[in-house]
Amino acid sequence: MTPFLHINGIRKTYGTVVATDHVELSIAEGEFMTFLGPSGSGKSTTLYILAGFQDPTAGDIKLRGQSILQTPSHKRNIGMVFQRYTLFPHLSVGENVAFPLRVRRMGQDEIAQKVKRALSLVRLDGFEDRMPAKMSGGQQQRVALARALVYDPPVLLMDEPLSALDKKLREEIQFEIRRIHQETGVTILYVTHDQEEALRLSDRIAIFNKGKIEQVGTGPELYANPATHFVADFIGDSAFLAGELAGVGQGRAGLRFADGSTVAAVPLHGLGVAGQAAELMLRPERIELTPEAGPEGASLPVTVEDLTFLGNNTTVSARTGWGAALTVRLNFGHPLAGRIARGDRLHIRWAPEAAHAFVKG
Amino acid sequence: MLLDFNKLGAWKWALSAICAVMSLFLLLPILFIVALSFGNSRWLIFPPPGWTLKWYEELFADPRWMGAALTSAKIGVIVMVISVALGLLASLALVRGTFKGREVLRAFFLTPMVLPVVIVAVALYAAFLRLGLNGTLLGFVIAHVIVALPFAIITITGALETFDPAIEDAAILCGASPWEARLRVTLPGIRHGLFSAAIFSFLISWDEVVLAIFMASPSLQTLPVKVWTTLRQDLTPVIAAASTLLVALTVLLMIAAAVLRKGKSE
Ligand SMILES: Nc1ncnc2c1ncn2[C@@H]1O[C@H](COP(=O)(O)OP(=O)(O)OP(=O)(O)O)[C@@H](O)[C@H]1O
Ligand SMILES: [Mg+2]
Repeated sequence: MTPFLHINGIRKTYGTVVATDHVELSIAEGEFMTFLGPSGSGKSTTLYILAGFQDPTAGDIKLRGQSILQTPSHKRNIGMVFQRYTLFPHLSVGENVAFPLRVRRMGQDEIAQKVKRALSLVRLDGFEDRMPAKMSGGQQQRVALARALVYDPPVLLMDEPLSALDKKLREEIQFEIRRIHQETGVTILYVTHDQEEALRLSDRIAIFNKGKIEQVGTGPELYANPATHFVADFIGDSAFLAGELAGVGQGRAGLRFADGSTVAAVPLHGLGVAGQAAELMLRPERIELTPEAGPEGASLPVTVEDLTFLGNNTTVSARTGWGAALTVRLNFGHPLAGRIARGDRLHIRWAPEAAHAFVKG
Repeated sequence: MLLDFNKLGAWKWALSAICAVMSLFLLLPILFIVALSFGNSRWLIFPPPGWTLKWYEELFADPRWMGAALTSAKIGVIVMVISVALGLLASLALVRGTFKGREVLRAFFLTPMVLPVVIVAVALYAAFLRLGLNGTLLGFVIAHVIVALPFAIITITGALETFDPAIEDAAILCGASPWEARLRVTLPGIRHGLFSAAIFSFLISWDEVVLAIFMASPSLQTLPVKVWTTLRQDLTPVIAAASTLLVALTVLLMIAAAVLRKGKSE
C-alpha cells in the first residue's frame, strides 16, 4: 500500500555542509509525527523541503503516491505555522485568517463562515477585528494556526511554533494543539527540540541526529527500546557504563568492566564481537537498590556517595566498583529510603529488559 | 541609560542653551526671509517699516513664477514616482536577493550621495549635450532621480530589513504566488518606508538647485532656478515671497514624514 506521505531518501547539502542525509519516512493519514533532535540536526531543512522553500539535492517527496517536488510552494496546499510570528501586520485577525481563502477567490459568505469556524477552533471567537500587534504571543500563534487550517490542507507543518513562549503558556497551547489534531484529523509534522513536548503531542517521533533519522517510533517504544546510544541519551535520563563485550549471541551480549565484574544477556544494539568496547545503559527509575546481590549477571555492587531528598523521591548518587557514577531513585516510602547513608555498600539490580548494551564506535 | 538627561544637573541647562542657540542659528535666515516677504519695503529693509501682501499678489499674478512653480511640482512628482519604483525594485534585490556582489551593488547605488553634486551636474551636462536632453523635462527628471534614488533606497531597504521574510513565506504557503505575496503582504508591511521615500524624493527634487541650473533653459526652469536667476537681475521682495512658499511646502512635508515615523513606532 502506498503511504499517505512518503519522504523518500531526502538529501540536502549546502556547499560542503550536509543538512540532511537520506531521510526516509512514511507518515500515515491523520498521524501526528514529530521531528525531535538537537540544533542543526536537519529538522527544519526537511520541513522546508516539504514546504517547497528548498529543493532537495536528491530524493523525492510523495503525497498519496504523487511527487510534489515539481509543484511550487503556493500550489502545494500545505499549511504551516512558523517559529517566528508571521501574522500579516497590516491586516486584522479576521483578514489574516481570510487571506488564504481570498487568494483562492472564494465567495464572501463562504469566507466569513470558514473564518468564524477556524477562529472558534482555536478558541478565539470574536477576535476578528483585533490587530495582530495588540495580541499576546500565544494568541498570535493560535491565529497563525487558524490561518494554516482554514483551507483544510492535507498536511500541517509546524516548526517549533511554541519556542518563543514561556513554559506555562507552552503547555496550555500544547493541549490545544492536541485537541485540534483530534478534532480535525489533519496530518501534522511537528518540529521541536523539547523531548517533553514531543512525548506529550506525538503519535510517533523521528529522532534526528546530524542530518539523519536515528530511530522512528512511539514515545514508549523509543524509551523502552532505544536503537542507539544517541536515542537512549536523548529520551529520558540514563546512565552509561563503559566496558567491553564478553560473549555475543542471539542479539544479546555480556559485558565486562574495568574491575572484572560482569553482566550477562543484555539486549545488544549494533554489531560487535567479544573484546570490543561497549556501553551498558540503565534507566535510573528501573534500577533497584538492594542490600544483597541480585541474580547473577543482572546486578552490580555500588557504594552510596550522596542522597538528595526531592519530595516524591530520594535520588541516590552511587559509584560502581571501578568508579563510574550513576543515580538511582527511591520512591517516597521505599523501605530503604530512611535507612541508608553515605558510604554504604549495596547492590543494584534490574529486570532483564531494562538494560541495553550499545557497541561503541 | 548612561547619559540620562535628567541626571545631568547644571549640564542640563548648558545643553539646552546650546540647542536653543543652534536652532536659532539654523532658523534665523529663514525667519529673516519670511519677515521680508511680508514687509512693505521694496529695498528689503530690515526690520520692515510695515506689512503687506502685495509681493505675494505680484508673485501669483506673474505667469513666469507660476510656470516655474508648476514645472518644479511636475518634475518633483515624476521624480518621486520613478525613484520610489526603482528604489523598491533595487531594495528587493539588495535585501532579499542572494546573488554575489550584493554589497558592491549597494555601495554603487549610494555613490551619487557622496559625489559632489557639481561633478554630477557637469558630467550630466556633457552627456546630455550629445543626447539633446538639456533644457528638457526628461533631462531634469533623470538628473533628479540620480540624486533622489540613493535616499529612496536607504529608506526602503531600511523598512524591508525589519520586515521578516518568514511573513512573506507564510503568505506563499497560504496560496499567494511570490509576486502576489509581495504585493499584498510585503508592500503594505513596508508602506511607512515607501511614504517616507516618496516625501524625501519629492523634496530633494523640489529643493535642488545645482543640477537644475545646469539643466534649465530660458523656457523651462524650476522654482529654485527662477529664484536664482531673478536674484541676479534685481533684488525684489517677490523673491522672498517665492522662497517662503518653497520653504513652507518643505516644512509641511517634513512634518508629514515625522508624523509617519511616529505612527509607525506606535
Ligand atoms: N541556508 C543555509 N545555508 C547553509 N547551511 C544551512 C542553511 N540552512 C541550514 N543549514 C545547515 O544545515 C544544517 C541543518 O539545519 P536545520 O536548520 O535543518 O537544523 P534544525 O534541526 O532545524 O536546527 P534548529 O533546532 O537549530 O532549528 C545545519 O548545520 C545548518 O547550519
Ligand atoms: Mg530549525
